[in-house]
Amino acid sequence: MTRRRQVRKLGNAVALGLSLLATLIGLACLGAILWTLVARGISGLSVQLFTQMTPPPGGTGGLLNAIYGSLVMSVLGMFIGAPIGILAGTYLAEYGRDARLSSVIRFVNDVLLSAPSIIVGLFVYEVLVVRMGHFSAIAGAVALAIIAIPVMVRTTEDMLRLVPQGMKDASTALGAYPWRTITSIVYPAARSGIVTGLLLAVARVSGETAPLLFTALNNQFWSKDLNAPMANLPVVIFQFALSPYKDWQQLAWSGALLITLAILLLSVIARLIISALPGGRSQ
Amino acid sequence: MSTPGDGIPVQDTAFVSEQKRRAAEGGLNLKPSSRMPAPGSPEPRRAVGAAPAARIEDAVFSCRDVSVLYADKPGLSNVSIDIARQQVLAVIGPSGCGKSTFLRCLNRMNDTIAGARVTGSILLEGRDILGKEQDVAQLRAQVGMVFQKPNPFPKSIFENVAYGPRIHGLARGSADLDDIVCASLRRAGLWNEVKDRLSRPGTSLSGGQQQRLCIARTIAVQPEVILMDEPCSALDPVATARIEDLIDELRASYTIVIVTHSMQQAARVSQRTAYFHLGELIEVGETNRVFTNPRQKLTEDYISGRFG
Ligand SMILES: Nc1ncnc2c1ncn2[C@@H]1O[C@H](COP(=O)(O)OP(=O)(O)OP(=O)(O)O)[C@@H](O)[C@H]1O
Ligand SMILES: [Mg+2]
Repeated sequence: MTRRRQVRKLGNAVALGLSLLATLIGLACLGAILWTLVARGISGLSVQLFTQMTPPPGGTGGLLNAIYGSLVMSVLGMFIGAPIGILAGTYLAEYGRDARLSSVIRFVNDVLLSAPSIIVGLFVYEVLVVRMGHFSAIAGAVALAIIAIPVMVRTTEDMLRLVPQGMKDASTALGAYPWRTITSIVYPAARSGIVTGLLLAVARVSGETAPLLFTALNNQFWSKDLNAPMANLPVVIFQFALSPYKDWQQLAWSGALLITLAILLLSVIARLIISALPGGRSQ
Repeated sequence: MSTPGDGIPVQDTAFVSEQKRRAAEGGLNLKPSSRMPAPGSPEPRRAVGAAPAARIEDAVFSCRDVSVLYADKPGLSNVSIDIARQQVLAVIGPSGCGKSTFLRCLNRMNDTIAGARVTGSILLEGRDILGKEQDVAQLRAQVGMVFQKPNPFPKSIFENVAYGPRIHGLARGSADLDDIVCASLRRAGLWNEVKDRLSRPGTSLSGGQQQRLCIARTIAVQPEVILMDEPCSALDPVATARIEDLIDELRASYTIVIVTHSMQQAARVSQRTAYFHLGELIEVGETNRVFTNPRQKLTEDYISGRFG
């Protein structure tokens, strides 16, 4: 009996040790990445970064056009993706909760959620870029939207399901049609949850490189034309980091740090909102 | 579906057929569909020495052979009952006997449950409400519902009450809406407690106050009937007493159907009581009579089991 207990104790200790080790390895990797980013990127952080265009090789410059392009395409992508994602999530949570179609949609959505983003890039390249005959910010925004949609569908459905059924029933019993209940009761009740989903989707989208490489490509110059190639942080980082020029490499590090900080900020805000939700759960 | 008036409702009748009693006691393994008489064939249940039915004149609701199937599992079987105007009908019975199911038939909330199917006929003021032509929103404005758990909307107290009138466009202008909200809160006996904080969230009230807010919200739509599904079961005795007093007052203007697990409550607030068992209506009659002199053994067992 005592022997068995000892064996069990030992087993427990081994399991505990292994999982601790795994956690430490993970944290160490994360720490190393962050450390490298900060160490290499911080020296390049300056006002210049936000006021000047990407330079030609050997010259000095900043990332203004890339930052602008990333913002424009992320926002545009969310404008396209968020309504579709929210409405689809609404269908899954409210209208088609038990419909067979819904389980198909959920499955496809999960596939899309984990699809490599380069495939999304290729898809948009085929469908838009090839047909339009050139790279463009629009195509980039569409690619980002396609990546944002499954995230929004998922979070919207989860958040709407958190709204107590009793509240929806009360509205229905007062004679409200489903759409009225959804817009007047369910959305307001799930507002912070939906906003959180939006932030998480933006965070997801703003770091994507592959889809933009195939769609918006890059632009060395200041361009507001949505119908033309547009600079953006991920692709600039990609190109500059692979270049032989020291200045470009430095800009790449700084850009990477910028994106990481922005995503970190978004995630922290999202988490704060989530923990403030009733029954606050973490993802 | 029987035409209205040709069925003999189980009103104040001592009669429950042997078949029905066995079904009720033996776990209801009869499929309701097999119990439904084929069209034109005489229905055995009615033939066996049925006492003349005390049908209610001028009933608000008149239900005939109402059955509910939940994905082929019976939730309610052949219930025929009349509901009298401006009275309180208490619905009692053991858990799972179909009380909530019956209540949800009356405002078609069963429509919202996937797989639920309602058959039979329910007339509200002589109008069939189960038909396709029935506008459910309009029905639910006429037949309000208060739930077991107070469920105020995440809005202000004012907006909670104003929600229904807004949906149905009952107010002409904002002054009118103010009047409706004020009158509803007064009727629900909540006005004095909340008049200074109408813009506070509805959830800032106590449980009992929230439940009265829900009643006010229901009244604001000017319904004819109010359905209450165990409205006090989440409340303490003091809050319960207030709601019971309120129900007694509301009876002057509304027809009320209340589901309750407390027989004391049924005895206190209702004029008529219906006893359900395994999805069937076993007995309905004047509350006093049902409690002091139940005609069915099942009713007696239930009542005495709880009292004794
Ligand atoms: N949504 C549903 N889906 C499937 N079956 C249901 C559903 N709601 C109720 N039922 C079944 O119908 C029967 C009657 O349920 P109902 O909720 O009407 O009982 P009740 O008398 O209100 O019980 P309680 O006193 O516990 O509230 C039960 O057997 C129950 O399992
Ligand atoms: Mg119930």
